[in-house]
Amino acid sequence: MSSPGTLTLRVREAEMISPLLKRFVLESADRAPLPSTGPGAHLRLMLKDGQRKYRNAYSIAATALDNSAYEIIVRRVPRSRGGSVFLHDHVNAGTIIEADFPGNLFPLSQVARKHLLIGGGIGITPFLGYLAHLRKMPASFELHHFCRVEEEETFGHLLRGADGGKVHLHPELVTEFDLAGMLRTQPLGTHLYVCGPEVFMELVLATARSQGWPCSKLHSESFGGAHAGGAPFVAVLKRSGVEIHVPEDQTLLEAIEAAGVEPPSLCRGGACGQCMTEVLEGEPEHRDHYLSAEEHAAGRAMMICVSRAKGERIVLDL
Amino acid sequence: MPDPSIPSRPKYKPFALVPTARSHLIIAERAEDLPDLPAGSSEAPIEFWVVVNDARAFGAQRLSSGIEITRFRSVTHLLDQLTHRLEREYVGLQLYAIGTEPFIWDISRLARAHGLDRDEFHPTHSGTLRRRVYCVHCRSFTDNVSTTIVACSGCGAQLQVRDHFSQRLAAFMGFQVDAEVPGELPPIEEAYP
Amino acid sequence: MTIAFKPAETFRDDFTYRNSDEAILRFPFPFGEDAYMYSVNIEPHVPAGPSAAYLHAFDIDEHYVAECRERARVLALDPGRCKVLPHMMTAQWDTLELIMESFARDYPEYFSLTKDGSTWTWKNRPLGIEDTFTFGDVSTLPYEPFEYITRQAQGDFTLQDQRNDNLFVDGGMVTTQADWSLEFDIGMSFHEWHAPVPLAHQIGVFDRALKFLLRLQQAQPVRRLNWTMTINPRLDTSPENYPVWGPDRTTVTPDNLAQKVHLRVELQTLFRLPRSNAILFGIRCYLASVGELARVEKWRKRLHRVLRDLPPELEGYKGLGRYRQMTIDYLAPFDDGAVLSKGPQPDQASL
Repeated sequence: MSSPGTLTLRVREAEMISPLLKRFVLESADRAPLPSTGPGAHLRLMLKDGQRKYRNAYSIAATALDNSAYEIIVRRVPRSRGGSVFLHDHVNAGTIIEADFPGNLFPLSQVARKHLLIGGGIGITPFLGYLAHLRKMPASFELHHFCRVEEEETFGHLLRGADGGKVHLHPELVTEFDLAGMLRTQPLGTHLYVCGPEVFMELVLATARSQGWPCSKLHSESFGGAHAGGAPFVAVLKRSGVEIHVPEDQTLLEAIEAAGVEPPSLCRGGACGQCMTEVLEGEPEHRDHYLSAEEHAAGRAMMICVSRAKGERIVLDL
Repeated sequence: MPDPSIPSRPKYKPFALVPTARSHLIIAERAEDLPDLPAGSSEAPIEFWVVVNDARAFGAQRLSSGIEITRFRSVTHLLDQLTHRLEREYVGLQLYAIGTEPFIWDISRLARAHGLDRDEFHPTHSGTLRRRVYCVHCRSFTDNVSTTIVACSGCGAQLQVRDHFSQRLAAFMGFQVDAEVPGELPPIEEAYP
Repeated sequence: MTIAFKPAETFRDDFTYRNSDEAILRFPFPFGEDAYMYSVNIEPHVPAGPSAAYLHAFDIDEHYVAECRERARVLALDPGRCKVLPHMMTAQWDTLELIMESFARDYPEYFSLTKDGSTWTWKNRPLGIEDTFTFGDVSTLPYEPFEYITRQAQGDFTLQDQRNDNLFVDGGMVTTQADWSLEFDIGMSFHEWHAPVPLAHQIGVFDRALKFLLRLQQAQPVRRLNWTMTINPRLDTSPENYPVWGPDRTTVTPDNLAQKVHLRVELQTLFRLPRSNAILFGIRCYLASVGELARVEKWRKRLHRVLRDLPPELEGYKGLGRYRQMTIDYLAPFDDGAVLSKGPQPDQASL
């Protein structure tokens, strides 16, 4: 879908809350109110380190009541593509950062009769947003957070609040805990939310399924898919004779438009069929909801507003 | 003739146990609606609830297959108990309802009120196709409708019985068929035996 | 921008509703081509479009005050026309926030919203409303938030909860509908709610629309148009009151057709709501008589062609049966077969 523009943010505060965790408070650069958010929302930051660009999404741990600021917590991950290291080492109070408007791929259920939150490590961040919301409503909830012994004090501090025994911090491995037992005795209508490292989430979800939990009651955090991008490639427009470089953070349609060509388009979300374009060479990577499975397999047409190329080059009848 | 321009009401699947359940509760409107489940059909415990329309019905028995069966004196008796039961149940329960449409969707309403989603509640149709009709003009329900047009039990309007179905109301929509020219009625047909 | 409101217009009984020349020219005429068929005609809801009706998040026109009064009348007779299931309270507040902020931003001469922490003060000058309330506290408003704010907006609204890869119509203010019942449909899933629409299911329109909407993002609303025809400028053509308005369809004659037969266009908008993650579906209803539309040269010819070539299944669904041919006959003499420009814009700046 077409982008509404971005938010220009200034870092109001930046502090290390543990050796690996850094907390940032972000406000609008012009101090205007920021867009409202809901529990589970994330913010995708667009960071520039010289020539390198990072587009990393972080759960919003808190939004000020008057929408004056967002809070995120970033774990330093040395082996990653580098966004978290950049944030830790080079972003401090006063730094200006661009961000997409918030999105939400991990919303709370509106119909749940009870919310059961199971978190591991940095997976606490969306749950901090959940807690702020659940504490205000008369909602039934329980949080179990697993962390390393060294981080118990930090997480204990983050989780402080009057919860009447609903929030439990476990400085142990989840495998040392009777997860199956807890999941056998949750009242009908309980929804389970899990967030943390991949292996942790897989273990919790597998345990839940083995206890008969249906898909409708299982929710896990995933950042994939919403703001699509992909490997860069070259698109050749046969009729115009134009060669267009499509970067990883731009859709094929956007790149074509940036080159001055205006193909038909409408919904910009892969659903309406307006931008269907014939593929003359190369293999499309389909991400639309319009073409049939047979048409996808044949690879002779594609929706340029959302789909990309599988290889390095694709030739279109434009 | 049912209104051909509207896709039909819910397509029912044949009865089948959900293999990943932690427990099964199967509710039938009549004894003959209960599925044939021999011993070992599931690792998870199975219970039958059935309406027998008999005031002497009392307590639960265990069948030779290991399934526990409880008989209820009426649909009302069963629904009343179901509310209590669902209040005490845990995630992992799979609930099944077998019977006529008003029966299975009344159970669905209870299931939904207790937080069961469509992957935890499974309706199977059995028995008459007679419909419960909801009059959109006066909000009354008219039961046991077998014809395409029926007089509303509340306001008397001649209602066209549509295929448009509300699970929440457990009823099909009826609207006045001769609203534009009162008295001008299409032929009435027996369509829901 | 000053709007000449017409507060005493009526949409029932004596039907004094009329469109000014300006209202006719800004009418969201739905036909960009000479023939009509269903499609997923969704586009981004941006402040640009073929007429002024598309420019604001929620459009306000000269009929605003009269429509709000008509809505209040409908609700007085049938409070059930506004209904929200209990789990949608967060979405109610989302809606109030979105509509208030949009109106205050787009029509500052008519609306203002000031915030002091959670204490908000809302002024609606055309309706003479001023209320101070605590955002999030239902007890500080005269109605629940969704009803409170939609009583001050034109068009119907529904709230759709997103869960299990589906959308459920779990709330609505439905007083200007083209023939669907909130009381009957509330709680239905996307496909169930749209079940009565003919043809569209077979060509997969709803499958694609649902997939698209599940990924709708905050701050990226979309819109589309829908249309039907109504006899008399009656907003409340609910199934509930069909026995009341149904007979209107038999009162059309060639002599009164131009005044009685109205094109009814819905400018539908869809917004992702941030706190509840629900979708707000706005159904803004515009009415113009065939006589009013015929004052635009391009529109009288195009409308003739669309009605003449309409697929028969659509005639039944859109309720045109009794008067479609009469309308075609009325418009035919105006159609010289000239080639018309693509797109719905009127191609003239005055009448």
